Amino acid sequence: MSDPRPQDDLAGLFVLGLLDAAQRAAVERNLEHDAGLRARVAYWEERLLPLIKMVEPEPLPPTLWARIESSLWPAPSRSAAGAHASLAERLWDSLAFWRTLAATGFAAAMLLAVIGLPGTQTAAEPKFMVVLVAPEDKAPGWVVQASTTQSLKLIPLGMTEVPQARALQFWTKGKDWKGPVSLGLVQPGRPLDVQLKELPPLEHNQLFEITLEPEYGSPIGKPTGPILYIGRAVKVM
Amino acid sequence: MTSSTDEFDYEAALGACAAGERGALHRIYQLEGARLLAVALRIVRRRDVAEDVVHDAFVRIWEKAASFDPARGSGRGWIYSIVRHGALNHIRDHARETPADESLIEQTEHAGEGSVPDPYEQVLLASESGQLYDCLGRLDAPKRSSILLAYLEGCSHSEIAERLATPLGTVKAWIRRGLQSLKECMA
Repeated sequence: MSDPRPQDDLAGLFVLGLLDAAQRAAVERNLEHDAGLRARVAYWEERLLPLIKMVEPEPLPPTLWARIESSLWPAPSRSAAGAHASLAERLWDSLAFWRTLAATGFAAAMLLAVIGLPGTQTAAEPKFMVVLVAPEDKAPGWVVQASTTQSLKLIPLGMTEVPQARALQFWTKGKDWKGPVSLGLVQPGRPLDVQLKELPPLEHNQLFEITLEPEYGSPIGKPTGPILYIGRAVKVM
Repeated sequence: MTSSTDEFDYEAALGACAAGERGALHRIYQLEGARLLAVALRIVRRRDVAEDVVHDAFVRIWEKAASFDPARGSGRGWIYSIVRHGALNHIRDHARETPADESLIEQTEHAGEGSVPDPYEQVLLASESGQLYDCLGRLDAPKRSSILLAYLEGCSHSEIAERLATPLGTVKAWIRRGLQSLKECMA
């Protein structure tokens, strides 16, 4: 209300490219969740679009399309493995996905400050802890706490965005195991209690990871999708 | 080229891009590439940079096609907004090295004292029709020029002030009121 400039102007100025860096960043942020702002920006994008008729087309250099093609589709032909990789790449490129991860970083720090110090626990003290982080930027997404060597609890530090018809699957692998063993599917943002009855007792440095899998889990009993979070067990002193 | 930009279904083409049909992106390029390059060139004023902007924009169009929402506006508007914002981002990050279009500078210099130069008057009166052009025609010349310099050339408030030899505060008010008048006129 105290803003002397009506919001319509902000959208109009954004489309004209006249906002300063801070205002522009604010508009770009708000566009994601403010449908009204999106509509006002779209209004000006549409209304001003006929201005492009004032610009005479420029001859296209013959190489430009080839450049675009080679950026988008670099390989001459794509194998099945290539198609697989591109799915993973799309995931890594998903802004929403990484934003969620970054947002959990602070939560993780808070949580570790509370539970991560030995001696502060009143109930069962964890014997092992694992912080599962995103492989690329190391943003923590989940914590594993184990009070015994035969059970553990997976605790989310935030929401993990899961694409349609996909699921998160939780895995572990001890030092001398042949491959990772599934600990089950994980609901984003929900804790999970896991009994390790048939598995060897937890050991220091045991690997844990969460991968993105088909809706009902990996069909082959081994991870098939990209690793979203990974970490190793640390024995709590 | 068999179909014109008036008949082309941009929304369907973007849908096809989202579905992985490379031909759809090429069709958009064939139809709009030359004008997109010109729009970018007007803003960045360097051909190699304008080509980079168009290149990046087409990569982005392909990658983001699935996120295009026809409820929010036309496909053609979306494509142009990607190129314009790409070009604007470039000039924000890199100071423009070459001076403004010489003919525009001349017009500015030759404008009579006391009157505000209007670099776009001739173009505007030429041949375009449509509601936006009717409404632009009703704006005072300085307001119209300010809006056109921003939209077409990516000029900042202070660049417009310089081009029109007018104080910054006045230019800001022109633009604000110009947008308001346009909106009322196009309602």
